[in-house]
Amino acid sequence: MSMRAIKLNVIDLPKADYTGGPSSLCPGCGHDQISNVIIQAAWENGISPERIAKMSGIGCSSKTPAYFLGKSHGFNTVHGRMPSVTTGANMVNKDLAFLGVSGDGDTASIGIGQFIHAIRRNLNMVYIIENNGVYGLTKGQYSATVEKGSKKKKGATNENPPIDLCKMAINLGCGFVARSFSGSKKQLTALLRAALSHKGMAIIDVISPCVTFANNDESYRSYNYVKGNEEELHTVDYIPHFTPIEEVEVPEGQFEDISLFDGSTLRLETLGDDHDPGNPVAALAAIHEAEENDKHVTGLLYYDSEMKTADEALGLTDTPLVDLSEDELRPSKAALKELNQSFRA
Amino acid sequence: MADIVNDFTVNIATANGTGSQSANLILLHSMFEMGVPVSGKNLFPSNISGLPTWFIIRASDEGYQAPGDFTHIQVVMNKDTWLADVEKAEPGTIIIHNMDVKLPVEREDCIVLGMPMTKMARAINPKLARMIANMYYVGALAEILGIEDSAIASAVIQQFRGKEKAIELNLQAISEGRGFARENWNCDIGYSVAARDKDPNTFLIEGNEAAALGCIFGGINMLSWYPITPSSSLAESIISWLPKLREAEDGGATCAVIQAEDELAAVGMVVGAGWAGGRGMTCTSGPGISLMSEFIGLAYFAEVPGVIWDVNRVGPSTGLPTRTQQSDLTMLYEASHGDTQHIVLIPGTVDECFEFGWRSFDVAEQFQTLVFGFSDLDLGMNRWVTAGFEYPDQNLDRGKVIRTQEQLDAIENFGRYRDVDGDGIPYRTLPGSGLEPILYRGTGHDEDGVYSEDPEVYAATVARLKRKIEGARDKLPAPVMREENDKQVGIIYYGSVENTITEIDDILESTTGMKVSTCRVRALPYHSEVERFIAEHDQVVVLEINRDGQLFGILRKELPVEHLSKLYSVAFSDGIPPRARVYAEMILQTLSGDTKEVIA
Repeated sequence: MSMRAIKLNVIDLPKADYTGGPSSLCPGCGHDQISNVIIQAAWENGISPERIAKMSGIGCSSKTPAYFLGKSHGFNTVHGRMPSVTTGANMVNKDLAFLGVSGDGDTASIGIGQFIHAIRRNLNMVYIIENNGVYGLTKGQYSATVEKGSKKKKGATNENPPIDLCKMAINLGCGFVARSFSGSKKQLTALLRAALSHKGMAIIDVISPCVTFANNDESYRSYNYVKGNEEELHTVDYIPHFTPIEEVEVPEGQFEDISLFDGSTLRLETLGDDHDPGNPVAALAAIHEAEENDKHVTGLLYYDSEMKTADEALGLTDTPLVDLSEDELRPSKAALKELNQSFRA
Repeated sequence: MADIVNDFTVNIATANGTGSQSANLILLHSMFEMGVPVSGKNLFPSNISGLPTWFIIRASDEGYQAPGDFTHIQVVMNKDTWLADVEKAEPGTIIIHNMDVKLPVEREDCIVLGMPMTKMARAINPKLARMIANMYYVGALAEILGIEDSAIASAVIQQFRGKEKAIELNLQAISEGRGFARENWNCDIGYSVAARDKDPNTFLIEGNEAAALGCIFGGINMLSWYPITPSSSLAESIISWLPKLREAEDGGATCAVIQAEDELAAVGMVVGAGWAGGRGMTCTSGPGISLMSEFIGLAYFAEVPGVIWDVNRVGPSTGLPTRTQQSDLTMLYEASHGDTQHIVLIPGTVDECFEFGWRSFDVAEQFQTLVFGFSDLDLGMNRWVTAGFEYPDQNLDRGKVIRTQEQLDAIENFGRYRDVDGDGIPYRTLPGSGLEPILYRGTGHDEDGVYSEDPEVYAATVARLKRKIEGARDKLPAPVMREENDKQVGIIYYGSVENTITEIDDILESTTGMKVSTCRVRALPYHSEVERFIAEHDQVVVLEINRDGQLFGILRKELPVEHLSKLYSVAFSDGIPPRARVYAEMILQTLSGDTKEVIA
């Protein structure tokens, strides 16, 4: 009888405990690669699946919570409204790890208001945008994030300027803003692992090609285009708090370590010009510059760990509200008697 | 002149934002303090300052709370409505006017009493003269009606709680108004108040505040709201009472409050809170419900508990935002696309606002669905009497929630949407529990919650949902009925019509000898007792404050066909709280077969 070694993560779970059902998306869809990264990152970080809440809106991307983390509760809500449902759930159970998955139609059009206000409140969640520039389920209409001059497989070239969700998030004061590419597994995994270690809103805008409607070379979000036009700000390595730091490869060039809320570290290794992720103006400049040259800038664009989360700002009691007892939820008979008396006075 | 005691209506015409609301509430509370059965209606504009406002105070030993069909005393303070207010007065009306508004009161057929209110106010405080002037009509009315000084003092102290200077200043103005009336007017006007034995337990409170307190005693965990008249004061009451009533031992909050970016987000947060196992609630008015409708369907289909209070204002569209109506009922009952049906709790008193405030959360969790509290501007924003709120008579009902592995193991073949008990209500597990996790969805799903487009699965799912809500009928608050022996005519009504029904009943009996039974529906889907009431009466009028007869429509759709020919709709709304005579006349005309339109 032969023994087969199964890899276990820090809480002794196999990766199989983080997988989901089979995908019904088109073969080769960038979203499926992101689902795999979600599985990998959650497993590697050793988060208990039952502590995770998977949230989504409507669209191709929003279907994916069925394809990962099958042992986590999830909610595939309504179009563009994932942030508000997450907000309500977060308020009553602040101990859950909220992982939201949305698309560019879901976030940049119908749900742009909720996106903005979730950032404004600094909702404690990871918000992934699987951004392909088209509406897939309704057969390939442009979305609001598509670049001016980009052309999908069928139809005219897009002439409207794009809504850049990272720019918007930085301007709104989001504490963790990153951009990545579904084809850059290493970078995306490190960024997602860091996002999961962050407290507060962490946004990762992931360019994710639509293989069916916009994978032609004239599309700025096709595999070939992104591969040839991605500009990485830095290479990223995630160093979990439970791994001794000595075991990590030390890069030869310069690097900067970002200390995350749970004690983990995101190591940014400088590639060309030094990018300071603490400087929102530099982050915006990098995005603008890339946009001017029809490039995609990726990496950790902006980071600020100092902000209060939505639940912290409300001064909630320590126990998650769903776990409060009847005594804590319903004032006493004496309290009602006193109340009635105060109105009579 | 022989006095008419405790049976008159005072109408006070002022401009919004001039402090007249304080003066009016002092009058209302001082009469209430004396034990005079009294009610007040604030007809205010959608405006911060300047537009006309009328406050109607009705004293009635009969306990009538409708605005009254006639105005006996008209106070005119507002130059913008002055001429119309004066012109509208019936012959014999007592008109009290501020002489400093240099406008004529040419009514020789009325008793006209003038007082230089602004000038007198300026003499005691030039800066605040505009506001203090209102206290002079309080003094004048106190003098001519015989409101006791002690009652006035107590009402003033209550109104300006703790603000000593304001109390002193306002009391001085009232006293001067009283003095002026005594010295310059013939105060024998034919109307007066007489003290009655006051139940020391009673007090006046707005329906919105009562509902807010009910929610707090119902264990609300999350309030999300977007400001809209006339529901904002419900949310603001919750906010103001939470620190006193719901602070945890560590000093933290046990209810999160979020002012949402819009109604769509507000209801989304309610759905999220319910999904996670909490008690989420929002409050709004008709336009908000329109916006929330998509989420309402999701909560219905995915079976997520939550509470929405709708304080009805006049529609359609922006409508008359500060006026009252019962026109959202159909929308609430069937909100959202597709086949839906929602539980609606309909309070008719402030006591029920409190009770349904806490009960709505139990019902929502019991049936795993959204529950509406349905109030209106009249009930929500005017002050009504209560003898004190009663403590909930049952523990929190958290519904069928599986919290342990043992509970889960006890269920054979568990599925999130499997009807284990035959009542259409499945069991659920909560995020974070690790027990049978599923991905909730608004798309078609099977008994295990897995995506499905199977025709049989779909048909079975919506049939079960129908059965689930149908099963609520007799578990919801039963109708309040008063039945005559001779069961000829029955009146079905709901909500704030409660404040007018006794007077309508008395008018019908005194003018035609007709004795009617009454049945106040307190929930949808309606209780089986409602059907029995209809079955047992020869003619049944459905009386409501809207144009189309919305409850009438629901009854007509759901009742057995043999009852339909005896149903009559009497529905009317002009935005003003219902006046008994208008409705009584409409009832008589409808029953007599006279189909011509009734104009109030």
